[in-house]
Amino acid sequence: MTQLEITRSAVRRPFGRRRKSCPFSGPNAPKIDYKDTKLLGRFTSERGKIVPSRISAVSAKKQRELSTAIKRARFLALMPYVDM
Amino acid sequence: MRLYESVLIARQDISTSQVEALVDEFSAIITNGGGSIKKKEYWGLRSLAYRIKKNRKGHYVMLNIESDNATLAEYERIMGLNEDILRFMNIRIEEVSEEPSIMMQAKSERSERGSRYNNADNAGAEKTSEEA
Repeated sequence: MTQLEITRSAVRRPFGRRRKSCPFSGPNAPKIDYKDTKLLGRFTSERGKIVPSRISAVSAKKQRELSTAIKRARFLALMPYVDM
Repeated sequence: MRLYESVLIARQDISTSQVEALVDEFSAIITNGGGSIKKKEYWGLRSLAYRIKKNRKGHYVMLNIESDNATLAEYERIMGLNEDILRFMNIRIEEVSEEPSIMMQAKSERSERGSRYNNADNAGAEKTSEEA
């Protein structure tokens, strides 16, 4: 639901905000680790889905890394597959 | 010889000393196979994000291992047979980090966790509204 709203408002604005840079690149960027559930939780929706990189602005390379980390955390029951 | 990170989840009903014994048993497989245990962390009895074999909680243990693949395969086989182990995951790593993992850091900060959690939630909410 929230995602729908995001895309719609983005369409309405003719000149979008400057694209945010990747949160995992730069000098003091956090390291992606499957054990860091607090960090990974920021890149999942309330239902536990992985947030697409076009919304979170994560670079393609880091998004791949992030998705494996989230999947590992899910396997170890550190994060939910589905959260109601 | 390669470096591996192994996380295992033991049943909630067993005691911490029994977990110790289990870990020692598994470590023995590695050391007998010519490998070594580089690091050992007990993350405590954590609640699982979903039920595994009707358990809601589990004892988490992380081991950093140096071994060859035949020994690791044996280690995995024995763990798979053990009924006290709900789940395990072994992944290859490039190096063993010296400092304790994020789980141990989170555990020592548990006293101030309530407030921190709220902050994190608020930060998340702010983020989504900013994007909208």
